[in-house]
Amino acid sequence: MAEMWITMGPQHPMTHGLWTLRVKVDGETVTDTEAELGYIHRGVEKICESRDFTQITPYCDRLCYVSAMTWAHAYIMAAEDLLEAEVPERAEYIRLMAAEVQRLASHLMWLGAFGPDIGNLTLMTWCLRDREMFLDLLQELGGSRMHYNYPRVGGVKRDIPIGWANRLKAKVKLFENRINEYEMLLDESTIWLVRLQGVGYATAEDQINAGVTGPNIRAAGVNTDARWTNPYSVYDQVDWEPAVEKPTSIKGADCYDRYRVRMEEMRQSCRMLLDAIDKIPGGANTHYQPGDEMLITKAPTRAPEGATGFSTYECTRGVSNFYLQGGGDNRGKNPYRVSIRSPMFITIPYVAKTMIGYKVADIPAIMGSFDPCIGETDR
Amino acid sequence: MSDTGENYTTFNSRTLVEIVGDVTDEALKATKIKQLLSVLAGRFFNWAGRKSLFTLHLGIKCCAIEMAASATPRFDGDRFGVLFRSSPRQSDVLLVNGPISKKFADPIVRLWEQMPEPKYCIAMGECAISGGPYYQSYNILEGVDTVIPVDVYIPGCPPRPEALIDGFGKLREKIIRIGGAPSTGRDGDKPIIVGDD
Amino acid sequence: MGTTITKEQNSYAANAAAQNLSARFSDAGITVEIIAHNAGKRFEFVRIICSPEQWRAVAKHLKNELGVNHCAMVTGTHYPEGGDRGWEVAYHMHRWPITDVEAHTMIVHSGESLEGDDIPMEFEIFINLPPGDSPAVPSVQDLWVGADWNEKETWDLVGIDFEGHENMHRVLNPHDSPVGFHPLQRQHKIRYHDFNEMYDDPQGFGRKPVDEGRVK
Repeated sequence: MAEMWITMGPQHPMTHGLWTLRVKVDGETVTDTEAELGYIHRGVEKICESRDFTQITPYCDRLCYVSAMTWAHAYIMAAEDLLEAEVPERAEYIRLMAAEVQRLASHLMWLGAFGPDIGNLTLMTWCLRDREMFLDLLQELGGSRMHYNYPRVGGVKRDIPIGWANRLKAKVKLFENRINEYEMLLDESTIWLVRLQGVGYATAEDQINAGVTGPNIRAAGVNTDARWTNPYSVYDQVDWEPAVEKPTSIKGADCYDRYRVRMEEMRQSCRMLLDAIDKIPGGANTHYQPGDEMLITKAPTRAPEGATGFSTYECTRGVSNFYLQGGGDNRGKNPYRVSIRSPMFITIPYVAKTMIGYKVADIPAIMGSFDPCIGETDR
Repeated sequence: MSDTGENYTTFNSRTLVEIVGDVTDEALKATKIKQLLSVLAGRFFNWAGRKSLFTLHLGIKCCAIEMAASATPRFDGDRFGVLFRSSPRQSDVLLVNGPISKKFADPIVRLWEQMPEPKYCIAMGECAISGGPYYQSYNILEGVDTVIPVDVYIPGCPPRPEALIDGFGKLREKIIRIGGAPSTGRDGDKPIIVGDD
Repeated sequence: MGTTITKEQNSYAANAAAQNLSARFSDAGITVEIIAHNAGKRFEFVRIICSPEQWRAVAKHLKNELGVNHCAMVTGTHYPEGGDRGWEVAYHMHRWPITDVEAHTMIVHSGESLEGDDIPMEFEIFINLPPGDSPAVPSVQDLWVGADWNEKETWDLVGIDFEGHENMHRVLNPHDSPVGFHPLQRQHKIRYHDFNEMYDDPQGFGRKPVDEGRVK
């Protein structure tokens, strides 16, 4: 039978964003793939060369829109490295809590989009309903449901409101029961298990050579997590462990392992949040005014030419890096170069090659299990 | 086989349909029933169309997440008849929810042209209205209305799901006014901006 | 958590890597420095400054001797007024303790118990290129698969050629972009880069709304 190229074009209900996957099929089997990105390339790196350091934070929110808090935090860490700014400890705790709540919301969005790919539409309604709980918490911090513009160079914009910690505790405790409900729904479902197990093998060394990081590597049995290998913020003071899964085969981790690793990560985030509420300096139920020294320190606004800043950060989908060079326009208030590394830009071509040898029906399962987000891919 | 088909004359099914059609048409026009039927049918199709706006399943950027959130139990767009269809041939509304890059300008015009009449376009979010925060970019068009005629603009970055549902409400009001007018003849019609009143 | 990488481990690893690199490369004129981050935990990393001809040798040494397994990013920068330095290519790499595991097993590293070459380390490599119209750097696509699309993106946006790179094509810009159009070069300006242009109202922002004066 002749082979033919099929285009899963930019508009496709499965592809979790705007990109093209050209698939060469021989009957039902995939023999070759080609990924084409760039449909929402906005030139953020070029625009940021004409913006202040504080004006760049909203652009970083919009890079990966389902995990905005983590991307803004990653950028702010690189800006602080460039500008040599200190951060008070209470602000670090607040940033950690915001990032972990965002991680919960992002994994729920992943599960809510992955379930319908496999055919389980109930998951979309359940996960997005639970995600609303955490979006409300983040809205109290940042003002909007999705793009918060919350961290500042040297600290955070404003303190956690009174009662936020109590609401967080109640929601996290409720959510820990909900994770059990999801597992009850999915792990006892034959269709889920048959569609995910044995599909999409990827080994750890292969992945790291290709640049794939994050939960995808931890599903292959190695507990590498940038929160402890390149430590930042106060992750060494909160009680947590990286979520690891044992791969089911010598050929590596399959889609089921990647799904299990993210469920376990959600549990670890809950654990971190409950611990951070107890340990936050100044107490979780006091509210300091914006600009207080417990929240933000005065940071320089100019970076001299030749200065560089670099951050390694564990975003929800992998390790993201920012590289900033100082000495730009406006007498140093703008950066000369902003370079953004997005984990998904490297993962998507790798996943396109992982699909070779499986059936066409396995494509959504493999693609969804690596959790693509095209906003960060095409900067 | 095809040339023996030409040998059928009066009782060829196509000719028969045309003759019966012409005769019935003349009869209905004479008794003014045709006018009544077209008014009633027009009202009925207008009602059916605006109560079941099938939206294309197209997610460009962040506003797509709010579009997905508006279909979830908290906001529930489905009670207004808004259902997402995967194929442009089966949808009424093209909801543009993100910036249009030069690479995507051609596909989105193709999607628009593949949709059958009557069709409507909603520009959701700042990026679709005017390029948004990327208005200075070398790769982003300054608004989707540079390539597609837009009916309703929903400002916000991103607009809340309630604003999106309100936008569909404004589109329903517009459909009452313009009915099934083809999309090319609507240039003189004033666009509706949500939040304007 | 308590089992993160400590500062002592980090210093030890940075010194060990820097000594290894200096012993091998310092007589070739390659600079190896230990730099500390200026914020956060102030961990140290290794910065290498080399020339394009030496890059392949350095890259092979990093991969085979020092165990660098992650090519994180490739950044190209254009300095039209940089004097001697017309272009710069910055490679950022990581070394992490990652190995394949048997089925149904997992490796749980406890940070403090890592030793020697297992300790994670960041590497930053700057390659300075003279000013001109055709900057070129040898490609490391065969050493790290992760460098593949990073190099494609750098060529697409900045215009730096990677010698020996197979299948170079545009990844972010449209395929029909003009040949030689690399938007991140400094001579290309963003739209309305001069704010006065915006106030001159080319888009009609100052026009009155179409329904002004209408009773609502």
